[in-house]
Amino acid sequence: MKGGLRLLLALGLAAALGQPAGAITPEAKEKIVTAASKNLIEIGLTYRGDQIYFFGVNPVPGADLIIRLTAEKDEEIKLSVKGRVGPFWMTVKQYDVTGAPFMYKIHANKPIREIISPETAKELEIGYEAIYHRLKFTLARGSEPDTLAEKEKEKREVFRGLIKIKEKANLYNIVEVPERLEIPDGKLYKHYFRFPPAATEGKYQVETFAFLKGELVGYGKDVIEIKKVGLEQWLTETSQNSPVFFGIMAVLVAVVAGLGVGMIFRKGGHH
Amino acid sequence: MEIYLPIAGISINFFLIIGIGGLVGFLSGLFGVGGGFLLTPLMMMIGIPPAVAAASDSNQIVAAASSGAFAHWRLGNVDFKMGLVILAGGLTGGTIGVQLVKILRAIGNFEFVMKVVYVIMLGLVGGAMFMESLRTIRRSRNPETCVLAPPEPKLAKLFAKLPLKMHFTRSGLHTSAIFPFSIGTTVGIMAALLGVGGGFIMVPAMIYVIGMPTIVAIGTDLFQIVLTSANVTLQQAIVNKTVDLLLALILLAGSTIGAQFGALAGKRLRGEQIRILLAIIVLILAAKLFLDLILTPEDLVSLAPAKGGGH
Repeated sequence: MKGGLRLLLALGLAAALGQPAGAITPEAKEKIVTAASKNLIEIGLTYRGDQIYFFGVNPVPGADLIIRLTAEKDEEIKLSVKGRVGPFWMTVKQYDVTGAPFMYKIHANKPIREIISPETAKELEIGYEAIYHRLKFTLARGSEPDTLAEKEKEKREVFRGLIKIKEKANLYNIVEVPERLEIPDGKLYKHYFRFPPAATEGKYQVETFAFLKGELVGYGKDVIEIKKVGLEQWLTETSQNSPVFFGIMAVLVAVVAGLGVGMIFRKGGHH
Repeated sequence: MEIYLPIAGISINFFLIIGIGGLVGFLSGLFGVGGGFLLTPLMMMIGIPPAVAAASDSNQIVAAASSGAFAHWRLGNVDFKMGLVILAGGLTGGTIGVQLVKILRAIGNFEFVMKVVYVIMLGLVGGAMFMESLRTIRRSRNPETCVLAPPEPKLAKLFAKLPLKMHFTRSGLHTSAIFPFSIGTTVGIMAALLGVGGGFIMVPAMIYVIGMPTIVAIGTDLFQIVLTSANVTLQQAIVNKTVDLLLALILLAGSTIGAQFGALAGKRLRGEQIRILLAIIVLILAAKLFLDLILTPEDLVSLAPAKGGGH
């Protein structure tokens, strides 16, 4: 339990100094043995999202589990804020936001605040509040609010808007119920993550944190890759990397298809 | 059956897209309009990002117009000289339009501007069509009051007086190139912004303002639509990376089949009553888009496209 002691000391120190400690190193904890029903999701023509089951052994029987799904890379996004201009609603402000995970889902067997302290949550980046603190907002267009309090209020509103967009696309969610993360007898656990169609290509990590009395006692990690295959991959890659070729091809395919279809129906005798 | 559209980045029901393509194709077969002006708003309503909807519709229009253009070319209905003058405008307008789309997307107001232009356009077209078919219905009830308005030659004469005169053999006209060029530019900008072919503006302008014979106007219009839309598709692919070829091909399949049935139905149904129906559809669409602009949106915060287009 040396690590735990170090953690407690670090947390105490951090609290005393009022700054993040960065002392919890999950990789140093006991490894949680996990298995995923698969590690690769292929986006083909009929892709409509996918579901992956995860199984694992709780390192300390009876410990609480928090499982987090994130995209390996963060997004640089631009958020537009609508406002009233005369009778119309249009974009009046834009924020560049860095540090937002593309995908962020959490499963816990009970409410996170009952498992860990807000400080630990913030340090391990567990929960929306922790995400908020790692985001950087830069006003790209529009007028800056006058006071610091108003600035903070606006940032919070933009953040709430971002969460709403992501939750609608099923890219973010937090579920804190035992039904969703089953741990029979406190030992073996199982659950699944749903990858919505909006989850694009890339690597995703599923991290399992085990906590006993608010202290991290185990950590495990699975990596899931999503990639487009076949026609989907070819169309995406060509359109992004060789746009000139893709544009010419799109036009030629359309002309050939149009002429071909025209000929089929003319032979049919309707014209 | 779900299908994943690679550039739009969404998974959507295959039959929904082919059905919308079919419906628009049916209407265009029935009324002889291109239907791009219905297709883009409908695509947006089912969740295709506006910029992808417009660009992919342009791609679909290339296909839909090419077979008609080919047929008219073989029949000798294309005034190539006039077509090239309009096309010069169309290429200029299309290129400007695509850059405009890029700027508007970057500042987050592409959807807003697109909807405003749509509301104005659909409102005018729907309103004019509604009034016109209402008049036709009234006229057919009291045949004595029938006064067929002859094509307005005054405008044609006025524009013919402008400088840069050219001789257009196929249309049998000696007129200024300024108006054909500028109407080409206007329609080119609209093609990029809205994903339309623009035939519903171009053909009346060619007949009533330039003074071309109707059949030559239609043939020449199709000829320039193929090339203007091809240019817009190419530029959208390069500048905005928003052309979803898969979406365009599914729409094409639907609209081709729909158009055949539309043409058949058109032979059996009474024109003015069907036209009033189309006018009502167009006006409802305009009203729906107008409400989108003034009602408090459900989400005040939205994602602007990041660098690299479709993602």
